[in-house]
Amino acid sequence: MSIAIEADNLVKSYITRLKSGFLRRKKRVLEALKGVSFTVNYGEIFGLLGPNGAGKTTTIKILATLLLPDGGRARVAGYDVVNEAEKVRDSIGVTLTVEKGFFWKLTGRENLKYFGMLRGLSGSRLDERVDYLLEMLELKRLGASDRFYEEYSLGMKARLCLARALLTDPPILMLDEPTLGLDPPSAREIRNLLTSLADEGKAVLVTTHNMFEAELICDRIAIIDDGRIIATGRVEDLKRRVSNRIAVKIFVSNPNFGDLARLEGIVGKVGFGVDDTGRAYIRFTCEPGSEDRVIADIIKFLGETNIRVFRVDVEEPTLEDVFISLTGRTGES
Amino acid sequence: MVNWTHILRAQIFSIKCWYKNNRWMLISTFVWPYLMVGTLFGVGLTLGSIDEYARKVGVANPALYLLASSVVAMSSIYIMYSITGFILQNRWIGTLPYIFLSPVKAHTIMIFSGLPDAVLSPALTTTAILPAAIYFEGVTGAWRILIILLIIILGMLPLMGLSVIIASLLLILKEESNVMGSIIPFMLLVSGVYYPLEVLPRILQLISRAVPTTYVIEATKIVSTYLIPEARLLMTALYMIGLLTLGYNLMAASAIAKLDRIIKYRGAL
Ligand SMILES: Nc1ncnc2c1ncn2[C@@H]1O[C@H](COP(=O)(O)OP(=O)(O)OP(=O)(O)O)[C@@H](O)[C@H]1O
Ligand SMILES: [Mg+2]
Repeated sequence: MSIAIEADNLVKSYITRLKSGFLRRKKRVLEALKGVSFTVNYGEIFGLLGPNGAGKTTTIKILATLLLPDGGRARVAGYDVVNEAEKVRDSIGVTLTVEKGFFWKLTGRENLKYFGMLRGLSGSRLDERVDYLLEMLELKRLGASDRFYEEYSLGMKARLCLARALLTDPPILMLDEPTLGLDPPSAREIRNLLTSLADEGKAVLVTTHNMFEAELICDRIAIIDDGRIIATGRVEDLKRRVSNRIAVKIFVSNPNFGDLARLEGIVGKVGFGVDDTGRAYIRFTCEPGSEDRVIADIIKFLGETNIRVFRVDVEEPTLEDVFISLTGRTGES
Repeated sequence: MVNWTHILRAQIFSIKCWYKNNRWMLISTFVWPYLMVGTLFGVGLTLGSIDEYARKVGVANPALYLLASSVVAMSSIYIMYSITGFILQNRWIGTLPYIFLSPVKAHTIMIFSGLPDAVLSPALTTTAILPAAIYFEGVTGAWRILIILLIIILGMLPLMGLSVIIASLLLILKEESNVMGSIIPFMLLVSGVYYPLEVLPRILQLISRAVPTTYVIEATKIVSTYLIPEARLLMTALYMIGLLTLGYNLMAASAIAKLDRIIKYRGAL
C-alpha cells in the first residue's frame, strides 16, 4: 500500500491581535498544532477526529498548501507542501466549510464550471465532467443544477462542495467536516460515496468531531486534541487498547433512583441516562464473560423493586469511551 | 499544467454568467458616465462659462473632453479596484481559498482574475459614451474614443504590480475596508483630470509625474484635440507610460513573491 499523505511533526502558531482599545491591540501567540504526524494510504478513509479548536482545519489547510507550517514537513502525492505546492494542489480535491464558498448569483452548474476552469479543465471534457458530478451527487434529481446557489439548502451546498472537490478526479481528497449539518439520510449518502471513492483507490482524509461517523466509515483514525495527536490506529485497535470491558445498557420503566443507586453494590459504577425517545436507561461496564451473570443478578434485583425491564443491550465500548479515557474529559454534551 | 490562460478564461466565464444573471448591472454601466458628466457640468456652469473652461484647460471641445477624461481617469485606475475588489469580495463569500487552490502561483491568480473586469469595464463605458462622441464630432469622434480606450488599457499596465501589492496587504492585514476608496481620489487629484496641473502646489506636481494617470490624461487631451504637431507629445506620453510600466512592475515583482509567502504564513486564506 503506498503512502498518499505524510505529515511529519507539523507545528503551527497563529499570531492573533486582541483588541484592547480603539487602535491598540495586544499580540497573542496561539499554538494550533504542536507536532502533528500521521500518514494516509491510497485506498483508505483516514479520519482526523477531535473536538472544536483541536487543529483539524489547520492541519487540512497546511496539507492543502493554503497555510505554511512553522515547523515540520509534509508530503502529499510525493510532493513537498511548501516547495512543490502547485504540484500538490494539482493532485488534491478539497472541501473546507461546506456551507459557503460559491458565487451566489451563479447556478450550481456555472459555479462548477468556473472552478473546473481554474483547475485547467475546458471544452466538452469540462461540460461532461460537471454534468456527471451533478448527476452523481443527486443535484440533478433535486432540481438544483441550474438554480442559483443563493437558493440552495445546506444539503445541496454540501453536495456541490463535494462535487467541486471531485472536478479533476484527484487521487487524494481532503474533506473538512463534509457531513456537518446534514440530515441523517444525506449524511449517509455522502458517507457511502466516500467509501466507494476509497474503494476506487483514492486516499480520503476526513475531519470530524462526530465519533459515530468516524467509527462508521474510517479505516483508520487519528485522535487530535489541543494540537497534538493522542492516538492513531484502526478503530477496533484503539477501542481494545483503552477498554477491555463490555458495556451493558438496560432500558427500564418507572425508575426509582433511590433503589437504582443500590445497584452499585452489585456492579460498581452505574450511569443513568435518557435516550432520544425519552426512555430511561442504566449503563455500566463489566468484565468480558461475566456479563450473563451480572445481567441476571440485576434483572432479579429490578424485579424485586418493581422496576420493569424493556430491553437489554450489550455493547462494545464506543469511540466516545476511548476519547473520554484518553483526554480525561467526558464527551457529555 | 494549469497556467494564466486558464485563470483568464475562468474569469471571463464568470463575468459572462454574472452579467447574464444580472441584467440591471449592464444597464447601469451604460448610464453612469452621463450621470457623472451631467453633475460635473452642472457644478461647472455655476462657477464660470464653458468658453472660459475650454481656454483654461486647453481643449477645443470641453464637453467631449470632460466626458472622455472622467471616463479615462476612472478607468485607467480601475485595475486597482478590480484586483483589490476581487480579493475582498471573494474573501467575504468564502470562495477565496478555493480560487487559490488552483495550481498556479498566487499572484498569477490575482493579476489575471482582475484583468478581464479591468478591461471590460472601460470598454463598456467607452461604448456608452460612443453615441455622445458621434453626436458631437461624427465618425472622427468615434475613432478618437476608440484610441482613447487603447490608451486607457495601456495606462493600466503600470498599476498592475501595485494593485497586487495592495490586494496582498489587504489580505495580510485582514483589512476589510477597500483602501482604494481613498487612493483613487488622490490619484485623480494629482493627475490633472479636471483642471490643469499648473494650478497644483509644487510638491503635488512632482508626484503627478510619477502617477501613470497623468500621462493617460495628457494623451487623452492630445487625442481629443487632435492637432498634427502634437503627435510627438502623444508619443512622449505613451513612452512615459511604458517606462512607468517597466519601473513599477519591476519594483513590485520582488515584493510580490515575499507577499505570497506572508499571506500563506499568516493564515489569511
Ligand atoms: N486564521 C486564524 N487566526 C488565528 N487563529 C486561528 C486561525 N484559524 C484557526 N485559529 C485557531 O487555531 C486553533 C485550531 O483551529 P482549527 O480551525 O484548526 O480547529 P478545528 O479542529 O478545525 O476546530 P472545529 O471543529 O471547530 O472546526 C483554534 O484555537 C483557532 O481559534
Ligand atoms: Mg474546523
